[in-house]
Amino acid sequence: MIRVDPELCSGCRRCEVACSSSRFMGMIERLFSRVQVVKVEEIGADVPVICQQCRERYCVDVCPVQALRVGDRGEVLVDIETCTGCDQCEKACPIGAIHLVDQYPLVCDLCGGSPRCVEACTMDALSFEPETSDVVLLTEVDSVLLSEKTTEERAYLYGITMAETLRKAWVTNVATDRDSDR
Amino acid sequence: MFGYAGNWLEVDLTDHGIQSHPLDLDWVKTVIGGRMMNTWRMYEEMTTGVDPLSPENTVYVGVGPLTGTLLPASAYTTVSARSPLTGLIGDAAAGGHFGPELKFAGFDQVIIRGRSEEPCYLLITDESVEIRPASHLWGKDIRETHLALLKELQDPHVQVAAIGPAGENLVKYATIATNMAGRTFGRTGMGAVWGSKQLKAIAVRGRTPISVADPQRFEAICGELSRRIIEHPEFETRKRVGTTMLVNNLNLLGILPTRHFQEGVCEYAHKINGEILRERYVTKNKACYNCNVHCSRYIITPDGEGEGPEFEPLCSYTSRIGNADLRRALKVIMFMNRYGVDAISSGETIGWAMECIEKGLLNAADFDGIEFRFGNMDAVEHILDLIVRRKGIGDLFAEGTRALAQQYGGGTEKLAMHTKGLEIINGDPRGLKAYGLGYAVASRGACHLRADPFFELTGRRDEAIKRFGTEKAAMPFEEEGKPALVEYSERNCLLLDALTMCKNVGQSMEIMNPDVGAELLQAGTGMTFNSEELSETLAKTRTMERRLNLRFGLDPKDDTLPYRFKEEGLPAGPAAGQIIHVDAMVKEFYRIKGWSAEGVPPPG
Repeated sequence: MIRVDPELCSGCRRCEVACSSSRFMGMIERLFSRVQVVKVEEIGADVPVICQQCRERYCVDVCPVQALRVGDRGEVLVDIETCTGCDQCEKACPIGAIHLVDQYPLVCDLCGGSPRCVEACTMDALSFEPETSDVVLLTEVDSVLLSEKTTEERAYLYGITMAETLRKAWVTNVATDRDSDR
Repeated sequence: MFGYAGNWLEVDLTDHGIQSHPLDLDWVKTVIGGRMMNTWRMYEEMTTGVDPLSPENTVYVGVGPLTGTLLPASAYTTVSARSPLTGLIGDAAAGGHFGPELKFAGFDQVIIRGRSEEPCYLLITDESVEIRPASHLWGKDIRETHLALLKELQDPHVQVAAIGPAGENLVKYATIATNMAGRTFGRTGMGAVWGSKQLKAIAVRGRTPISVADPQRFEAICGELSRRIIEHPEFETRKRVGTTMLVNNLNLLGILPTRHFQEGVCEYAHKINGEILRERYVTKNKACYNCNVHCSRYIITPDGEGEGPEFEPLCSYTSRIGNADLRRALKVIMFMNRYGVDAISSGETIGWAMECIEKGLLNAADFDGIEFRFGNMDAVEHILDLIVRRKGIGDLFAEGTRALAQQYGGGTEKLAMHTKGLEIINGDPRGLKAYGLGYAVASRGACHLRADPFFELTGRRDEAIKRFGTEKAAMPFEEEGKPALVEYSERNCLLLDALTMCKNVGQSMEIMNPDVGAELLQAGTGMTFNSEELSETLAKTRTMERRLNLRFGLDPKDDTLPYRFKEEGLPAGPAAGQIIHVDAMVKEFYRIKGWSAEGVPPPG
């Protein structure tokens, strides 16, 4: 899986740029990317949202024609011949990590084993753990996240959830520092 | 269309006219993008010197053919107009995420004319362009405005550039800022021009892909540039503390502006430098779009939070005004970012007042009782509050240091640290001779980013002989070879502004030059570019700028520096005794440019 550490993410969106460009013949657009950086500007947080190869496998389970399957590294693979573009997988993902472009589902497939987003990230906010998958559990948060209507909103809410945890630590650290100083 | 989005937008706020035009490819090939495209458009359109704060002034918002592409650190946007602060060419650039989003919305340039009757904001998407009411945003600071627009437009990916109360109140060095007030279009008062048009903000959002002509070639060049950035010896330092590394660097060179340029060595630099800032207040790195340096930082202090600060505001509100209290400086900088005030210009008005009092030229009674003592941050907070509201003596301070000193007179003009009305940046030119020349001749007044002749600090003597005919070009105290260095550096910086690449990366880390630029432009746009032609275009543009400034009333005698730098040696430290013979260097610069001895280009 690709492990995300939002504490290190600077919000540069190099992952999006690399993903889009490498898979769409040099074209760059947010929707062409299988990783989306959620920028929670009001609290300074940036959270890359990318398939977490969750244990629940919402997208694979929901597919009515079994066009999605889990590959050897835990990645979600789409069979384009079978897929009907019904968008059930997109609606089922609690974190908004799969979406349709021209009726074709885009989800991280690890670029076949050398993910371009990880290579592009010079902050080490993304790291590739080829041996790890099915460890992230989304059941605890899915009811909240799925209440959001659009994919972007779900990704954003997931980003905020992650960011808020991070922020509590920041505020505590800064306050301690200050008091000892003054 | 490759590289470019392919359209430019024309908006008239007076009659609400909105027109989208296809980009003229023959034209754009000669002006490229960003600041260069804006200035050419200004040259073609402004045949007389219009009042900068009248509806007749025009705002040009420009990005370039490579903005939003794989090219790292190339997310700048330039806003241009005639400057209310200097009366000359005005422009300011900011990074962040606004520029790429404007490209995704389908535009390379936005031109805004006229004046709206009511406060308004411009919403630009690839589906529509609208002038929308902004009375509910008027009076809000930049961060509040950004948040309000995100909520109103219900889309977290909208990018906003906005002015704060200072811009609304026509403070002549008001800024525009994007990224939640984190990235600032700082200099020459572009925020006041927006304010005069009742333009509170521009919000952009797009979904149109950006394509390049030769993806393989383009990716190969960008990959090589990314590698060079990461392998640069300064990479780790820049990533850790960004431009705030300059506090230590300049202090070690003895040119860190201290107590209003009375000294070049600051004894408490360790209390205000980038390292202590990082340790105490930085929570994480921030970055502009597709940058692999991530030099910006997010800070939280007990007084607030936000992105920043860069070196210029940090120095302006610490050593330059004799303040050793980092937390108080950060509080003031966050205030300025949000209210939309240029830190360098405002910091100079304050430093000037402090020195005027210290020298006994003026006293507190001349300033409505405000005690401008070095380091008195209560006075600083007080005057900034008056400046943004243009209340009391804040109204005078809001005019800029040149006008302020002229008003007080009595020898105080000599202490006003500006060139052509633009306040001098933080780097004492007595120990940095190429920078000094750069401030004197820059087309927007005392600016370091027009030339950014970083090379003079490198000590690379062999390279200096090869490039500029003398090893002295790579030695900061020497003056020989510096006009040639500045002439070259100005062209390179213009190229960076046209490509919208960051100078911290493109210039200071020596990533960009006309050879690489031509290759990138060709692979990106599919049009034919070569290095020689590109260099000629850059030189021609520099001379056009000169003609435009002369049209705006520039007096070539103002290509100089304030008295102190030319006559009073630095008192102590590594640069002790240094002065700068800038006027002789200016003459040599004119000669290299092919301008007359009076600084006037030949007709053409």
